[in-house]
Amino acid sequence: MAISVDTVYRTVLLILNKESRGYLTPDEYNKIGTQVQLEMFNEYFEDLNQQLRIPENDSEYSNRVKNLEEKLAVFKTPPAIANYNPGGYFNLPTPSAPSGQETITSAIGQNAYAFQVLQAAQVSAGTLEVFFDGVLQTENINYTISPGGGFINVLPSPTTVFVINVVLYENDFYKIGTVIYDDELEVERVNRNDFLYINMSPLTKPSTEYPVYIFEKNNLYIYPTTIKSDITASYLRKPISPVWSFTISGGYVYDPANSVDFELQSTEQTALVIRVLAYAGVVIRDPQIIQAAMNKIQEEKVNEKS
Amino acid sequence: MGLINETNQQYYAASQTIHVINAGINELQYTFDASMKLYSTSSWSPSDLDYGKNNFIFEYSFTGLDPYTPVNVAYTVTNNLIVLSFATDFSLGYFRVRLKETNYGDYAGVSLKSIVNNFIVAYIGEGKIIPSAKRTDVIFHAKRGMQEFSYDTLKSIKQQELSIPNTLSVILPQDYVNYVKLSWVDDLGVKHIIYPTRLTSNPTDMPIQQGDNGVPIQDEYGSNLQGTPIIEERWGNADDRRISGSYYPDFQNAGINEYAGNRFGVGQRYGANPETSTMNGWFTVNEREGKISFSSNLVGRVIIFEYISDGLAYEKDMHLPKLAEEAMYAHIAYSILSVRANVPEYIVQRFKRDRSAKLRNTKIRLSNIKLEEITQVMRNKSKWIKH
Repeated sequence: MAISVDTVYRTVLLILNKESRGYLTPDEYNKIGTQVQLEMFNEYFEDLNQQLRIPENDSEYSNRVKNLEEKLAVFKTPPAIANYNPGGYFNLPTPSAPSGQETITSAIGQNAYAFQVLQAAQVSAGTLEVFFDGVLQTENINYTISPGGGFINVLPSPTTVFVINVVLYENDFYKIGTVIYDDELEVERVNRNDFLYINMSPLTKPSTEYPVYIFEKNNLYIYPTTIKSDITASYLRKPISPVWSFTISGGYVYDPANSVDFELQSTEQTALVIRVLAYAGVVIRDPQIIQAAMNKIQEEKVNEKS
Repeated sequence: MGLINETNQQYYAASQTIHVINAGINELQYTFDASMKLYSTSSWSPSDLDYGKNNFIFEYSFTGLDPYTPVNVAYTVTNNLIVLSFATDFSLGYFRVRLKETNYGDYAGVSLKSIVNNFIVAYIGEGKIIPSAKRTDVIFHAKRGMQEFSYDTLKSIKQQELSIPNTLSVILPQDYVNYVKLSWVDDLGVKHIIYPTRLTSNPTDMPIQQGDNGVPIQDEYGSNLQGTPIIEERWGNADDRRISGSYYPDFQNAGINEYAGNRFGVGQRYGANPETSTMNGWFTVNEREGKISFSSNLVGRVIIFEYISDGLAYEKDMHLPKLAEEAMYAHIAYSILSVRANVPEYIVQRFKRDRSAKLRNTKIRLSNIKLEEITQVMRNKSKWIKH
């Protein structure tokens, strides 16, 4: 259950306007909301680590480890297929639905083609699948993307006319979870230096029964290298940025259809409001708000961790 | 839920039949414990050269009665699911899979893979003595445990039946770690133990050529020149009767009514040295050549070579008797804790004692002592044992 972006905004505005302290514009609120959501999301991992090191209780609703796991559950993505790259590694799973695509027709002798539909920033941040006449191509062998993401360069120069189809998947990857081979075997993560020794010992050498992987450059290097398919990986995705969308009609009017709620668990609503308030205090330059919010945050932290 | 998933037919007949009663079905899910494997993507075809290398036979009968005929339509196998390429090509009927290898008696063992998985599930995790451990570490200690258990705990004796050639030596088996016993077998199939001898030995290095004054001679590269083995040649040509003192014909059978067997079987040469007076011959381990060498009287004899391996040589070896499963868990737990930093010594000692006790229990279990069998042997000694 997500937290309504509108409820939080109205609550924040209510507190801010109590004594006509100031006003937070929707744009400011959206940016602060994104920042706060990511901040709280990042803290879950440290909190979980801390809680795992102390004895836990077995109660139904007050088990801190369980509660933190529940908060993270929204962002856990079930195992999805990781595609093999001829470069000898597996790409991270991409979201099943593409976020955009563009079709370009090649011209004989022309290498570079500018994207007209896809945004350069999206291209450089996302994952691409490029097809020439419907056949999947390999980056750096059949094509390259310009550093800013504005162009695609076809390698080598086309000698015929064909259709270039570029499919964009927004990269929502945050942390790798479990890598699975053949639907049932966990692939163990090892570091490069460990791998050298593991690979040399006949007792621990990776096999199809006990495969291992190295995670480098956001790619999965699976060993033994005979494994070229049947790899899936679960991962933790990034929270989607909240958007308080509006129409202007004598003022800002909330537009629920184009708004995006906070993805945090509903139990986080009060903490979320307080943290947004703290940043809002900075925006409107009100030390009282900042102080009050920070005290409240500190109070909660002490309570949660003691 | 019980641990046995296979039906009686799957176990005893190593086969499973699926009766297709609806048209259009092209997926057949079999439920063997073993994994059905096609040798290649084209080996489904009975005319394919690799058809015989599949580990199963897939056949069809309309009535469910013999004869079944091999299915001659392309299919794939994944996780024991057979997917036929053309459902409509088949009429209704019975589809039978016969495995080429049975798994008789496999229930007595547990695979090393299961040991590793079970250990990770039950012994490693938050709130347990081992909060986290790499799977690689668990695998390493499990395999080391398998080796150690194979040397002195498990019934891991392997046996080879061999004939002794004119060269009087046989090559050590590929998975040889140490010998247990060598015996030659007479015409009745009875074993006669061949003992190792101290009378001779096989030099670990080839003989060195010496000059007149005894100094080794070197070749143009500065290395000592090698000669031909003299000791082994003399031992190979030796007439063992001059060592054992036997001038009677060998008795080939262990039958108690055999005249020669009677004379030697009861032992009439008082004061003889058993080590040298044996008629069963001797053997030595030739480390230099990786062979077992025998005395000349054993040439042409059939022998049984019993030896131990380390339990890791072949996939089928990587099974542990269930009677030793708990000892293996204790071994892995102790091995992990003993090399880990900041584990209190009393915890390490507790697991050490636990391992030791469980290993002792396992040895007792695997020694397979049965009271009836002991009394049967002891009756021969005119001793009265109640049971």
